[in-house]
Amino acid sequence: MLRACHRSSFLVSVFQRRAIHSKNGSINAFVAIADNAPTPNNITVGVKSNICTSELTTTCSSGILKDFVSPFNATVVDLLQASGVQVIGKTNCDEFGMGSLNVNSIHGPVVNPFQHPSSDTPWETRERRSAGGSSGGSAAAVAAGLCDVALGTDTGGSVRLPAAYCGVVGLKPSYGLLSRWGIVPYADSLDCVGILAKDVALTQKVFDILNVHDPQDPTSVPSSARNEGPTELRNLRVGVPQEYFPAELSFSVIDATKRTLKDLKAQGVTIVPISLRSTSYALSAYYVIASAEASSNMARYDGIQYGTRVPPPTGSDLSKVSDVYSYTRTEAFGSEVKKRILLGTYSLSADAFDNYFLQAQRVRQLVKEDFDRAFHHVDVLIHPSAIRTAPLLESVNYGLDSYVQDVLTVPASLAGLPAVSIPVRHAEDGWPVGVSVVGQWGADELVMKVGQLIESIQ
Amino acid sequence: MSRLLLDGWHVVLGIETHAQIKSRQKLFSSASTSLLSHGSNTNFNAFDAAFPGTLPRINPKCVLLALRASLALNCHVQQRSTFDRKHYFYSDLPVGYQITQHYSPIALDGYLVLPSTGKQVRIKQVQMEQDTAKSIFESRERTSYIDLNRSGSGLLEIVTEPDLESPDEAAEYVRTLQATLRAVGASDGNMETGSLRCDVNVSIHRPGEPFGTRCEIKNLNSVRYIVAAINHEIERQKALLVTSQPVAQETRGFDHHRWETFKLRSKEDAPDYRYMPDPNLGVLAINPAEIMHVQRTLPLLPEASRTRLIEKYEPQGVTRDDIDVLIGLDAQSDNGALPEITATAYFEKVVDNGRRDPKTVINWILNSLLGHLASQEKTFSSNHLSVNQLGEMIDMVASKELTGPSAKLVLRHILSNPPSSASLRQLAVDMNLVSMTKSSSQTGIEPDLSEICRRVIDAMPSEVAALQAGHRNVVNKLVGGVMKETRGRADANTTRSTILSLLK
Repeated sequence: MLRACHRSSFLVSVFQRRAIHSKNGSINAFVAIADNAPTPNNITVGVKSNICTSELTTTCSSGILKDFVSPFNATVVDLLQASGVQVIGKTNCDEFGMGSLNVNSIHGPVVNPFQHPSSDTPWETRERRSAGGSSGGSAAAVAAGLCDVALGTDTGGSVRLPAAYCGVVGLKPSYGLLSRWGIVPYADSLDCVGILAKDVALTQKVFDILNVHDPQDPTSVPSSARNEGPTELRNLRVGVPQEYFPAELSFSVIDATKRTLKDLKAQGVTIVPISLRSTSYALSAYYVIASAEASSNMARYDGIQYGTRVPPPTGSDLSKVSDVYSYTRTEAFGSEVKKRILLGTYSLSADAFDNYFLQAQRVRQLVKEDFDRAFHHVDVLIHPSAIRTAPLLESVNYGLDSYVQDVLTVPASLAGLPAVSIPVRHAEDGWPVGVSVVGQWGADELVMKVGQLIESIQ
Repeated sequence: MSRLLLDGWHVVLGIETHAQIKSRQKLFSSASTSLLSHGSNTNFNAFDAAFPGTLPRINPKCVLLALRASLALNCHVQQRSTFDRKHYFYSDLPVGYQITQHYSPIALDGYLVLPSTGKQVRIKQVQMEQDTAKSIFESRERTSYIDLNRSGSGLLEIVTEPDLESPDEAAEYVRTLQATLRAVGASDGNMETGSLRCDVNVSIHRPGEPFGTRCEIKNLNSVRYIVAAINHEIERQKALLVTSQPVAQETRGFDHHRWETFKLRSKEDAPDYRYMPDPNLGVLAINPAEIMHVQRTLPLLPEASRTRLIEKYEPQGVTRDDIDVLIGLDAQSDNGALPEITATAYFEKVVDNGRRDPKTVINWILNSLLGHLASQEKTFSSNHLSVNQLGEMIDMVASKELTGPSAKLVLRHILSNPPSSASLRQLAVDMNLVSMTKSSSQTGIEPDLSEICRRVIDAMPSEVAALQAGHRNVVNKLVGGVMKETRGRADANTTRSTILSLLK
């Protein structure tokens, strides 16, 4: 459902605006759309709702920021606008980036724009499937042609997973390359700005605009440490980690991945089976760390300086400040966010700290070391982006199963490595499948080049 | 190991001090630090107000000042230190956590010497952290108002080991710490304006027995309150222990209306701060060369400064007490403003490398100058008699161009009026106070001293008769008459000899 159009100076082509209005109603990819005016042909971008823009709301798909307008633009937005890219709207997402199916949103779920080719129902009444999350709106907007490119954020797979489900390219660059100034934080040590587009060439183009040191972001890598890294495709050695083919993997995904590897081999690429032994611990470590950091980052939402405020009912005990805040936070946060705040608070508590938070950090170090060892023998890794194709929205279960979606994407997040999901020939069930390419830190160019190779052999 | 006994008990005290770092910008944001005079909510930015999407950036000036303070406190500076988030919900903490250095502070294991006894008080650690916003509770409206000016300003937290043994030692520690922080420019260390606050831990035990349970008294913002709170707390704990009741481990506050400590929270209510390393800030790495450079460029510390003053001026007649009073002048201030020049620097500039006698100079400062300021209920910090003016005054008295009383009149005039850059000589001339000497009559402007003496002699015939009859002391009355006529400008000795020679 279309929501909140704010008057602003962003310019959008008449043609695209028509498309947005007619299609978005059925997808719910955009939650806010810029004002219109005729414009020359420029690249258009959809910006995820947890990335600050001074025009249009930055809701993070949360009740606690539902009318919030940031006083400043994120650096990545400024860089795009300075290059002539036009922001046409803010895209739907899981609340504060927490979710893998884009169903945790005050704006309602995103409906995957893809329709199975064999279907004979009209598109508007197509089978309703998830677009993936948390950047579901961004992926769906690009897949449906509502914009040329979209910005998302990827903390544990939130760009790569929806890219796989929607059949578009989704890049998570090396941690520290793209500025996080103006990105509403979920977990600072894991958050990355990500780019979604229909092909690698456009993804690369936007990456080049954004790949700039930002002094306002203390985690932004200095210019002296940024270099292109290796880009040679000849004698490419591709590692395939055996732990990334769990029993839960659907046949469609296995089949599509195998075909891709076979095609690459035919191109002269050497395929090397490898082992990343810490993989089975990575998902738990990720959720402990991400929840802990989330509980810290969510502490600021109290309704006092900005955002939604729910006043305490008359007669309530106001002697403790935290009690006053709790009325706002209980009502305005969604249930998934509240769950992670509670789990994260627990893992940081004095009793649990050593066994949960510290232990998770040790596992994180093991995961990094696994990758370091692997990259001594191979140039990149290739593995399925998701364990299945897009699930039916009505079958979504809100328990731990939703976390398992992330099992393949989380390790590269823990290690801060560049990873891109490339859409490959549709699966046996006809739905989009993504295959991920992962490189060593700083090897973003190589990762995209390999991605382009895979693209070319589809 | 305590050696001091207070009424049969050993008292064990530790002090945690929070000193505002004297930098132009805050610790992690580029907003300006504030003075009390600034209107509320005028010095803050999006980061201080906890807006989503903002990130911290460390201010290198704060690190430099933390280094200087740490070295002045003889600490081991850590080449690697880190920052952590301390979480709790309160209205003066917009972001829901304070960035501090819990696991790995910037400096460890130092000491501060108490000048009166030479005792070394061990410093456990020095850490950098953010200050909170200020919350003001309006009881009539039952509303808390938040001023973000202070939010995110840099603080140095300085923690002692429990080495202090009496309220007086605690007071001396705080004063010495203030002087040290000021000397290196790390902080104004001003308790009246809030740039220095102390929490004190107090416990007592009988000799030979282990340490007692300690209670923490928070947020003491004057040395008087610190002493009073410790005294009250000692009595309170004594009263419990002599009746065999346990002292509960508590956090307490000090009520300066009722002059007693009161319970804030018990040990069970103590919050779990869930310290988490701040993922945005990484490791603060300081290399040894940098530490050495800061060490070399440290200004002279108060203890060394005192030793130097004693060595230089004691041989010339200045007493140690004089020097201690002089040093102590810098600890006081009116309205929190600090003078442009310290009292000791002022003294030395007037002495001007031996050009003037140090004993004379220090007497002028401690007696006349301070005396006059005190009569107006002001301290040295309000002094605006310039170095040049005081120097000139002392010179003119020495050359007899000004009498002592006249000089004091000029001093009073200067201090009672807005600061003036006029020379002292000019002011003295304007006030018609320049001495009458025999030679001054040659300018033709001043009346002859001899003439005035003659007039006074004529006006006081009975005194003249008594003098000529042999009562020599009566001449002082005649001198007094001349002084009155000249309003103190005439030099007493010259007048006496003039009168005597006129009556021969």
